[in-house]
Amino acid sequence: MDIVVSSISLGILWSVMAIGVYLTFRILDIADMTAEGSFPLGAAITAHQIVNGTNPIVATLLGFLGGCAAGFVSGFLHTKLKIPALLTGILTLTGLYSVNLFVMGKANVSLIGDVKTVLTLMPISDQTIAAIVIGTIVLVVVIALLVFFFNTEMGLAARAVGDNEQMSLANGISTDNMKMVVYMISNGLIALSGSLMTQINGYADSSMGIGTLVIALAAIIIAEVIIHNVSFGVRLITIVGGAIIYRFIIAIVLWLGVDPNSLRLFYSLMLALFLSLPLLRQLIKQRERRHQNRLANLDREEEQTND
Amino acid sequence: MTKTQTEDILEIRRLHQYFERGTVNENHALKGINLTLKAGDFVSVIGGNGAGKSTLLNSVAGSLPVDTGHILINQTDVTYQSVEKRAKLIGRVFQDPKMGTAPLLTVEENLALALRRGEWRNFWSSGVKRRDRKLFQERLATLGLGLENRLTTDIGLLSGGQRQAITLLMATLKNPALLLLDEHTAALDPKTSAIVMRLTNQLVAELHLTTLMITHNMTDAIKYGNRLIMLDHGRIVVDISGKDKQQLTVSDLLDLFKANSGQEMNDDAVLLS
Repeated sequence: MDIVVSSISLGILWSVMAIGVYLTFRILDIADMTAEGSFPLGAAITAHQIVNGTNPIVATLLGFLGGCAAGFVSGFLHTKLKIPALLTGILTLTGLYSVNLFVMGKANVSLIGDVKTVLTLMPISDQTIAAIVIGTIVLVVVIALLVFFFNTEMGLAARAVGDNEQMSLANGISTDNMKMVVYMISNGLIALSGSLMTQINGYADSSMGIGTLVIALAAIIIAEVIIHNVSFGVRLITIVGGAIIYRFIIAIVLWLGVDPNSLRLFYSLMLALFLSLPLLRQLIKQRERRHQNRLANLDREEEQTND
Repeated sequence: MTKTQTEDILEIRRLHQYFERGTVNENHALKGINLTLKAGDFVSVIGGNGAGKSTLLNSVAGSLPVDTGHILINQTDVTYQSVEKRAKLIGRVFQDPKMGTAPLLTVEENLALALRRGEWRNFWSSGVKRRDRKLFQERLATLGLGLENRLTTDIGLLSGGQRQAITLLMATLKNPALLLLDEHTAALDPKTSAIVMRLTNQLVAELHLTTLMITHNMTDAIKYGNRLIMLDHGRIVVDISGKDKQQLTVSDLLDLFKANSGQEMNDDAVLLS
């Protein structure tokens, strides 16, 4: 039971990041590596602010804004300087590593002890439950705002840019600006996830971003494999489900006694498996078809010999 | 400015375009094109492969930076304006029916995007407005393809012909100063092609659109529009309008081509269409 509750709690927090990644990954069709830098950036800003006595909600919002700034940098490099998206992400991610150290002043900051976090604002003593409540509130607000935004005039334009760039230009949409907007929202959400995570885990660490993109992508792919062809809003909700399922799988793997050091290898292998699922599914279908075709041929041959 | 000049919608002055300029592969694609379209002109542009038709259209649309020369639309110099900036003045339909619409967006979302062409898009009001839906339904009904009942269908699920018809609606939804048609029926089957061509003619007439249409189809080039231009090796070699154009036949055109380029029209696509 403990495993289930903690998976839900972790899944909810990770899904904030997964939703952010989804925006660049599916709307712009870019796998944005900036994520692994903006996640610890959100954590670093929030941890630093909280240690200095800032209100935890303000500190969390500052973390979000920091992520937006990181997204702006990547968006600028990609659209205005025409650097390929993958390299853009790597550049910003590498630069952010130093920025995160500047922000924290050291490699990690502890929030344990007498500090106020979003958790302590809650009148709930059970930390896991409090995390679930906070995560749920954040998710509801985030999903509602995103669904609203992507149906406005600008939001429609942003969706069109990733779908058909030529058509967007022909209809007077500044594709560069729209991409930057999506980059900023995406990385803002990723940083927000890092910011919440740091308050719940009780520390921020400069290396906490490593491997996070794979976790977020896995949540997205699980959601897409299980339920396909849904509207934007429903998709965001299914991503939350995907993240929870993923955390549950990881929890079971750890419970089975797998060495935590091999965890990231496992993350990668699992994502590779998820990404190849559509192909595997197709192969199985083709095999079935071939098999049935062969049966049908046999029947026909039998009929002919009977004649 | 004199009165006649203000009637000029498109003015192309001494336009040159080069590809791979300064290399051994240099291709002087347009060699000093001068072309003026008056309000309401419907000009069809023909020419063999490599004549410079697409280069001309892409220069006007802005997707190809101009080497030398100037392009004016509505007396505004747009030579150095980006594609999205001059989209305010231009409605465009591409050859590939997939190119003019966003497949993952619905029919009404695509139309709503076109309805705000050249305008600021805000982030607080709904992209597809209730009052616009009525307009979309009316306009879609004129196509006669039954699309008025499919506003919330993803465009990617529609056929090439349906998508091209919708692209045409989108390009003309905001009365563009200039309509650019880039062989927009070439990828369609003959029947659909005829429907889209008829629809084009109807829209251009109704809205008095100034239109530049590239086509591979000589019959269409003769049948539609009030003026016909033939390009060859980057030059305008034939420019016929008015009565002369009305009396034109396909064999006249083939003769004109031979006389001007010194060779037979060897483009199968032109001969067979």
